[in-house]
Amino acid sequence: MIQDAWRKIKGASPVGEETRGVRPENLVWMFGTARTGSSWLSAIMGEIGGYSRWHEPLVGHLFGNLYYVRAGHRSEDEHFILGARYRELWLETVRRFVLDSAAARFPEVAGGRYLIIKEPQGSMGAPLLMEALPESRMILLVRDPRDVVASNLDAHKKGTWTADLMKKGGREKPPSLAERRPDDFVKGQARRYVRDVGNAKLAYDAHKGFKVLVRYEDLRADTLGTMKRIYSALQMPVDESELARSVEKNSWENIPEEEKGEGKFHRKAKPGGWREDLTPEQAEIVEGVAGPLLRELYPVRSTA
Amino acid sequence: MTPRFKRAWRRAVTRGKSLRSLAQRPSRAGEPCGVRPENIVWIFGTGRSGSTWLGSMMESLDGCAMWNEPLIGNLFGNFHYFRVGGRKSGRQYILGEPYKETWLGPMRDLVLGGAAARFPELIGGGYLVIKEPNGSIGSPLLMEALPESRMIFLIRDPRDVVASSMDARSEGSWLSERSEAQRHTSKPGRNPNAYARTRANSYVQQIEKTRQAYRAHGGHKVLVRYEDLRADTLGTMKRIYSALQMPVDESELARSVEKNSWENIPEEEKGEGKKRRKAKPGGWREDLTSRQIEIVEDITAPLLSEFYPMATTRDSL
Repeated sequence: MIQDAWRKIKGASPVGEETRGVRPENLVWMFGTARTGSSWLSAIMGEIGGYSRWHEPLVGHLFGNLYYVRAGHRSEDEHFILGARYRELWLETVRRFVLDSAAARFPEVAGGRYLIIKEPQGSMGAPLLMEALPESRMILLVRDPRDVVASNLDAHKKGTWTADLMKKGGREKPPSLAERRPDDFVKGQARRYVRDVGNAKLAYDAHKGFKVLVRYEDLRADTLGTMKRIYSALQMPVDESELARSVEKNSWENIPEEEKGEGKFHRKAKPGGWREDLTPEQAEIVEGVAGPLLRELYPVRSTA
Repeated sequence: MTPRFKRAWRRAVTRGKSLRSLAQRPSRAGEPCGVRPENIVWIFGTGRSGSTWLGSMMESLDGCAMWNEPLIGNLFGNFHYFRVGGRKSGRQYILGEPYKETWLGPMRDLVLGGAAARFPELIGGGYLVIKEPNGSIGSPLLMEALPESRMIFLIRDPRDVVASSMDARSEGSWLSERSEAQRHTSKPGRNPNAYARTRANSYVQQIEKTRQAYRAHGGHKVLVRYEDLRADTLGTMKRIYSALQMPVDESELARSVEKNSWENIPEEEKGEGKKRRKAKPGGWREDLTSRQIEIVEDITAPLLSEFYPMATTRDSL
């Protein structure tokens, strides 16, 4: 009722006409968490004809961080802008945020193309986004939390690619916990994994539209086969020879050697590499924090 | 209309069909009818600066309602100014500068839609005071999205703000339970000096952003010092209404000032650990240690000298 009334107040067009031609069902969300291979997967998909890629809009983080973390205690408060009583109303704004922004950035999508939205760092807000855009498609990309934490541990050491990234943004990277107190850093990253992947999994379970769960390890073991499964599950058309070319072009083997290795964005791409990277204590910390998700997503994998 | 009656009426309206019927009223000159943006009065600044008191005095007047801390400013400002780093100018980031028109519109709708849904009694007219001290970080964005609206920049001596916050977050105080729920690590009881530093830094962030919004705002606006409001409440309130060019019945205003005065708050609701603590400008001299005073003055020095040029500092004590 509130939503209908607001539409009449502001004189907005009915849903479907306010989107400047971007069809919500042509949005493909990619959730999970950072360092799960989402850049790789979205690069493969984004290079195929008929597909565009939106690289980390962070819209999930924008709404999810306030809703779940900073003001979680106020969800029942009528005055809170994201309060439960007015959920329909603000979810419509979330929807407009996404559709208007997509239309402005990717006008070609209005013609019927698909838009891959790589949003691992906005996964905290995945339940809100999927509720606001129930017609859209969803990929839940997961990776063994120990490998995710090991990758982050490497990325946040001194002089690595994350420092270069900050320098590009005009900032110096402050001394990282990864250097000073690595075990605490590991615990923090494991918690972040639980928050991101946990919320993305909640959204995945609730989503009634097309969706697919992808393990990074399967993508590494059989990239083309897994890609075909993704397009099939999401019921999206793809030219198989073009897909094969994109898989080949974006393969680990095709990345120049000097762009790979410790401290670099492309590090080792080796499932199970955590055994070499983490101390037994650190592996135990991750298993302790992310245990339930680890068992759910990787029921047959060994522990430390 | 008392605030309690207003709330009851609002609930009755939103539960029935009245919101829909109000929404269907013909609009003036083709404008969508809702809460008028020019009838929105923002209160920005920082927490523990008397915004509840000021908002209550305004809310008590006929034809006015108060939206109590929606945190819209916090939603956008915290993210945009402190979390995204160098991505602001990029093409990908949802609040990217090159695409401002695509997100200022939904931001405006979020405010106006949220206001119309919560305060249907204002759809035909009346003022909505949005008390948003803890959303001040986003005030530049909100004032840009709603340039017709009015703005109050409420400021208080940072040392009193820090002293009041320390009391509020102390063990057993009115905000301590929330701190537990939010897993605040910088509780004043654990490390008071670290807490003072954190709170002084957040004061600077919030006041600097409010000042930025205030300077840029081309509409009606007023700067109010808490200390002036305490010293001459009625006179300062008249100044606020005059600066904002809002009509007010002076006898009604005087009654509201009297009703919401410190002296009219029951004694058992005042004191240490309570929301209404001491309302005493300069009380920081009794509350903070000399080291804490030093910390707060060092961090807030430019603001202190700008807004309180005559203020006593530790050096002159």
